[in-house]
Amino acid sequence: MTYRNQFDKELEELKISLIHMGDMVIKHINEGFQSFLSLDSSLAQSIIEKDKLVNEQEYKIEKECMRIILREQPVAKDLRLITAVLKMITDLERIGDHAADISKMTIFMENTHHHFETKQAGLITKACAKMISQALESFVNNDIELAYEVIREDDIVDNYFEEIKNAVANAIRSSSIDADYALYLMMVAKYLERIGDHAVNIAEWVIFSITGEHKKLNPI
Amino acid sequence: MKTENVFQITNLNLHYGTKQALFDIAMEIPKNQVTALIGPSGCGKSTLLRSLNRMNDLIDNCHVDGLVQYENDDIYDKNYDVINLRTRVGMVFQKPNPFPMSIFDNIAYGPRCQGVKDKKTLNEIVKNALVNSALYDEVKDRLKEAATSLSGGQQQRLCIARAIAMSPEVILMDEPTSALDPIATAKIEELIQELKKDYTIVIVTHNMQQAARISDNTAFFLMGELIEYDKTDLIFSQPSKKQTEDYITGRFG
Repeated sequence: MTYRNQFDKELEELKISLIHMGDMVIKHINEGFQSFLSLDSSLAQSIIEKDKLVNEQEYKIEKECMRIILREQPVAKDLRLITAVLKMITDLERIGDHAADISKMTIFMENTHHHFETKQAGLITKACAKMISQALESFVNNDIELAYEVIREDDIVDNYFEEIKNAVANAIRSSSIDADYALYLMMVAKYLERIGDHAVNIAEWVIFSITGEHKKLNPI
Repeated sequence: MKTENVFQITNLNLHYGTKQALFDIAMEIPKNQVTALIGPSGCGKSTLLRSLNRMNDLIDNCHVDGLVQYENDDIYDKNYDVINLRTRVGMVFQKPNPFPMSIFDNIAYGPRCQGVKDKKTLNEIVKNALVNSALYDEVKDRLKEAATSLSGGQQQRLCIARAIAMSPEVILMDEPTSALDPIATAKIEELIQELKKDYTIVIVTHNMQQAARISDNTAFFLMGELIEYDKTDLIFSQPSKKQTEDYITGRFG
């Protein structure tokens, strides 16, 4: 029997809010990349506008965390959980920003000629979305193994980035890519690579929440 | 880390009649630090506190086994000087308990019992004790007034002053702020931080935030057993035992 049913309920709701924020940014990444592939500037514009909702969700969760700290004065695993949530929403918010950044590239490219496709660009997007989704899943299920897997998956994203970079460099050498397009594509790839890093941060906070140890300070 | 310990407790078992209140307690109390004892009612924390200056001797059927060493001496040895122990290990209780006499006489009581008669010396002891217990400015013009005329928070600081007047090395505090309002509590907590420079403090508290705020080490007791004893920051951020976690996060029951 526990005497903190209300508190437990609030923590569950906090997790649900976080998942909701995660779902929003995953959707924005996918749509942002889609807008880039299809040069759909109206889709891109809508994502830039929807980023406000991500920011609002961050603010809402932040307020909720502060309210819980004030009312419940959490300690031990509860304190770690709230701390982790406060840090994770910063990473999610930055991921949302990068989804908007990718969408901005789409709008910039409206007047460029784009006849260059790399398989890796689709793969890196998928890998990033998977990392975020798994990082959040590991948090909700207290699944430390899954969190470590997310950290390992960052190498895959980094490899895709390298492959894209090489492909674009080759295309530039053979003049088979529009110069502006090449630059924008590299920026999109870099944003996606950064998104992978933020997913790693989230996974590291999950590990902190479960163990009290921060992986960056205690590398395995 | 090398810290000097004032108390060394080894295999301490304590019975009240047939009921065992403490089971195989082993712990050290480091010098010039604040050590908090926490746990639910009846867990043995106050019993342990009282065993440090043999206050349990006053309970008829209390029986103590094991070793409690104060500065390397076994305080339960039959030749140990208990009066001297209680001079060096003072105590402050849950409810302020001023003697029914003036503020001055409350503090001078202990030193007078020890034979201090010189007025000037007594004045100095009383003033120092009041300054060190952060009460002097509030009472300096009314030292002849009854101690019972003070507010609850002032009375508790007077009790701390009374303990300090004996120049103890350790001050045991049994829930010293549980009867006080938040402002008086904050003053006592601040005072404890000051006092630890000169004294070793062991405090029993039910207020977990208080333990987290003011103590260096925290010991968690449950049903007479010492479950976990560690640095306070660690206990409240990363306790290693599930029972500790359940208790401090309020999921114990």
